[in-house]
Amino acid sequence: MNKESAYWIALAHLPRWGHLKINNLIIKFYHENKLSIEDFFQLSENDWKNQYGIEYKEVEDLKRAKSELANNAFLAESLNNEGYELIPIISPEYSKTLKDNLKAAHAPALLYVKGNKQIMKEKSIAIVGSRNATDKSLEFTDNIAKLASKEYKVVVSGFAKGVDKQALDSAINYKGQSIIVLPQGIMTFGSGFKKYYKQIVDGDVLVLSTFFPKAPWKAELAMARNPIIYGLASEIYVAESSDKGGTWSGVVDGLRKNRKIYVRKPDANENNANNLLIQKGAIAVDFNGNSLLNYKPLLTEVNKLSLNEPTVNYEIKILDLLKTGEYAVKEIIKKLLLTWSEKKLREFLKSKKEVETINKKPLRYTMKDSTIKQRSLFD
Amino acid sequence: MTRQEAEVILQRTFKLNQFYDEQWTTIEKILKGERVLLIEKTGFGKSLCFQFPAILHKGTTVIFSPLIALMRDQVKKLNSLGISTKCVNSEQTPEENSQIISEAKEGKIKILYIAPERQENSEWIEATRHLNLSMVVVDEAHCISVWGHDFRPAFRRIINLVNLLPIGLPVLATTATATKKVEADIAQQMGSNLTIIRGNLMRDNFKLFVIKVNSEDEKLIWLGQNLEKLPGSGVLYTGTRVDTEIYSKWFEFLKIPSTGYNAGLDPESRIAIENGLINNQWKCVISTNALGMGIDKPDIRFIIHTQIPQSPIHYYQEIGRAGRDNQTSYIILFYNPEDKKLPEAFIEGGRPAISKYEKVITAVKNEMLGERDLMKRTNLKQTQIRVIKADLMEQKIIREVTVGRSKKFEYITGAPQLNTKAFEELRASKTRDLDKMIEYVETNQSRMKYLCDYLGDSSTHSFTNCDNTGLKKITVSVNDEWAQKLQAFREDYFPVIEVETRETSLINGVAASYYGVSNVGGALHRSKYENGGDFPDFLLRLILKAYRKKFGQEKFDLILYVPPTKSGELVKNFAVKVSQVLKFPISHNLVKQRTTSEQKVFENGYLKSDNVKDAFLIRTPDEVRGKSILLIDDIFDSGATIKEIGRYLSNLGAIKIAPLVIARTVGGDLV
Repeated sequence: MNKESAYWIALAHLPRWGHLKINNLIIKFYHENKLSIEDFFQLSENDWKNQYGIEYKEVEDLKRAKSELANNAFLAESLNNEGYELIPIISPEYSKTLKDNLKAAHAPALLYVKGNKQIMKEKSIAIVGSRNATDKSLEFTDNIAKLASKEYKVVVSGFAKGVDKQALDSAINYKGQSIIVLPQGIMTFGSGFKKYYKQIVDGDVLVLSTFFPKAPWKAELAMARNPIIYGLASEIYVAESSDKGGTWSGVVDGLRKNRKIYVRKPDANENNANNLLIQKGAIAVDFNGNSLLNYKPLLTEVNKLSLNEPTVNYEIKILDLLKTGEYAVKEIIKKLLLTWSEKKLREFLKSKKEVETINKKPLRYTMKDSTIKQRSLFD
Repeated sequence: MTRQEAEVILQRTFKLNQFYDEQWTTIEKILKGERVLLIEKTGFGKSLCFQFPAILHKGTTVIFSPLIALMRDQVKKLNSLGISTKCVNSEQTPEENSQIISEAKEGKIKILYIAPERQENSEWIEATRHLNLSMVVVDEAHCISVWGHDFRPAFRRIINLVNLLPIGLPVLATTATATKKVEADIAQQMGSNLTIIRGNLMRDNFKLFVIKVNSEDEKLIWLGQNLEKLPGSGVLYTGTRVDTEIYSKWFEFLKIPSTGYNAGLDPESRIAIENGLINNQWKCVISTNALGMGIDKPDIRFIIHTQIPQSPIHYYQEIGRAGRDNQTSYIILFYNPEDKKLPEAFIEGGRPAISKYEKVITAVKNEMLGERDLMKRTNLKQTQIRVIKADLMEQKIIREVTVGRSKKFEYITGAPQLNTKAFEELRASKTRDLDKMIEYVETNQSRMKYLCDYLGDSSTHSFTNCDNTGLKKITVSVNDEWAQKLQAFREDYFPVIEVETRETSLINGVAASYYGVSNVGGALHRSKYENGGDFPDFLLRLILKAYRKKFGQEKFDLILYVPPTKSGELVKNFAVKVSQVLKFPISHNLVKQRTTSEQKVFENGYLKSDNVKDAFLIRTPDEVRGKSILLIDDIFDSGATIKEIGRYLSNLGAIKIAPLVIARTVGGDLV
């Protein structure tokens, strides 16, 4: 049991701080000033301001977090009792792969895990893809999981339907090891722990979450989890992606971070965005995961999708944003750096049935039901 | 805050003039946000050391206490002083507890007493997210240590919590009973930055006696002759629940006002007895050691043990409940060399066999199991499962998790092998403790000094308060008159068969004897297993006597008997004889419609119930409809068979079903 658990919970979930700000603070007190997190929280407000350059508003955040330490202690005790472990980013148990891939800008300060932690030290692959993938993609997933398991590589997946589930089931089936990255707090995964009990006991499965332990599934969390899946893996395989949604944005994000991403070469008649990803810099692979370096997708196949790609992509981003609250047109444009005119955006919003207009000045928009129903395997 | 300032508040709020020095030292540290382990004898005023700081703090002080009686007393007392205090425990309804928890969340409660087990309750854990916590108190802190006399696994979680609490949040652990070894263990578990304050534990208002006897009869007779001569009222501790029953029946027979108490009673009865004790309603309460901890009765005038406790620390703890008003109190221990067999059996046989541990480990490795499923999978007794469970949790091989509303055990990934050495060490330590307890009996030195030395109290006080240091030794004299009284009692006392429920027509019945307590068990065994022929006639005489005592001249419409598992007519023949004497018709139509195993094969009530479920059939249902029935069997153990037949006959319309059995086993299963 980590005696500093209550402190790490407080720091990791500072509201609106973001990974970078939190990690920079950790670097400063822990690595530069050689203070434990406990010591850091004992510092005076003045020290926080003067030595660490923390702004007034953030000092208030820290003060509030400090006042909740005792409450966190109760939570930490309860986590510990149920067998969940807390792994702060400074711990040698923290996945090195994750840290190397995500760096200070994106690595979460605290991991909540249950199961065999050693798994995080093994070579790993992620197999990702659509929730409603075709049989072909599922077969590919199964094959890649099989090959990985043979080579003692851990399969990382996100516990969604389709490719995620296939990756997990196959890894288990081939007696390989898996990391399940949860789109929710680790304490809300009761039925999953029951289902994978034997695998966890045998040390073949590690369940991992980066969210507040009691947070229920949410679309935002599912999105926020994707970089963790990619981050935990040394290699990333894409079975199938459409031109929007979690897999798409995850891969695009990964490519932007210069990750090597392998995408299944689609057959000529397939209707998905695999080719588009390959064109964007992902590496095409065959059924056995071998790179097809000479493969160049036909321009027409790509164009079919790429012509309207920006619009579709923006549309999703807009709707995703509206799921998080109410926004005026100007705010949306500013937040998403849209090149659209206000008029075009207003018309688009009106055309969407799921968007609700709120009669305030200026007009505001939000999603009608901004909490999307959970699509986890156990519902 | 200076001591002077504090004492002004003390006078105003608690109506007390001043602190003892050790109280003030503790309080000063608490107010500075430090951690303290306070070891002081009963009656010292440990509670004030957290109640006083609690009223100065802005938020809520949470006190983990295993003693419900103490919670109740303290809540009453503090509220009368105008300090908003509540408790959360299993005696209150879930609604009451929820209400109190939400008041605590709103900051309306200054002091909250809570049972350590509550840490397993999700509602409470949820509430702790919103609680403004200003201090944590661990009462009866010796329960943390396996080397103490009352280790409680639930305290493990409290200690973990304490270790997770932030710096600056004051923590106070208190106990009245800790040897140096226990003290060191508590300190080690509570981590660094702990101040230990230890007072002296000597009680010079006690008059300590040991009465050496050669039989159970001598104890009963001495008490019969002398109990009423002792001043005031007190407590008689026995070794087992059955003894509690026997002693209270004996006093009832002698018309000495007394009552029995054990942990199995419902909360209302317990509260009634505790209140009765406080109000001197009886000369004495006869109890297992479940009674008395934390009861706020300053004038318990005597404490008598009919059974030697396991160790001097158990003994010190139990007698510590006497004479908190500092007035003379009599402390008497009976000792028959035979008596050490009970604690010895407890130490030697208390640990289940290693193979049983392995059974549990294998079962839990395969699937997540609740206690009930685990009992079914392993065919182990509940008592054994609980010992094994606690040990395996202690060794971090399994853990208990909450799934929805139920608790399950799971195997810990990468758990270590079972460490049997730890059991041996604990056993060796307990054996040493028992030897020390017997040394207390045999010593010719001051008994109080002996106890203080054992606890690690270096007292140089010279004592004159025991039968080795100035007081007259007590001996027992048995005369004919008392021997006859005891004989008359023995022939007039029959154990009750408690099976009454609201759902069936079963009523409580009676047994002729306890299985292991008289010659009845032996007689049954000879007939059943050593080809000894029919049950002997003295059993018939005894059961008829039991019947008359319990049911008087009451008539039953019908006699039925429990059909045997193996061919054999012992019970049938016996029931026929009973029927001939009582002149109630007997029916042979209750049969088994499927084969069952002998109940004794099964170690726990769940499997026993499963074994007999729907196993019985009456060939002529009309025979029982609207009838009152006397149901005869030889041995009553878990009661699963009687209850199953009772349920079946009730469904067929029987209006009253009374069990009449030859012997009731002692102990049985907890289910």
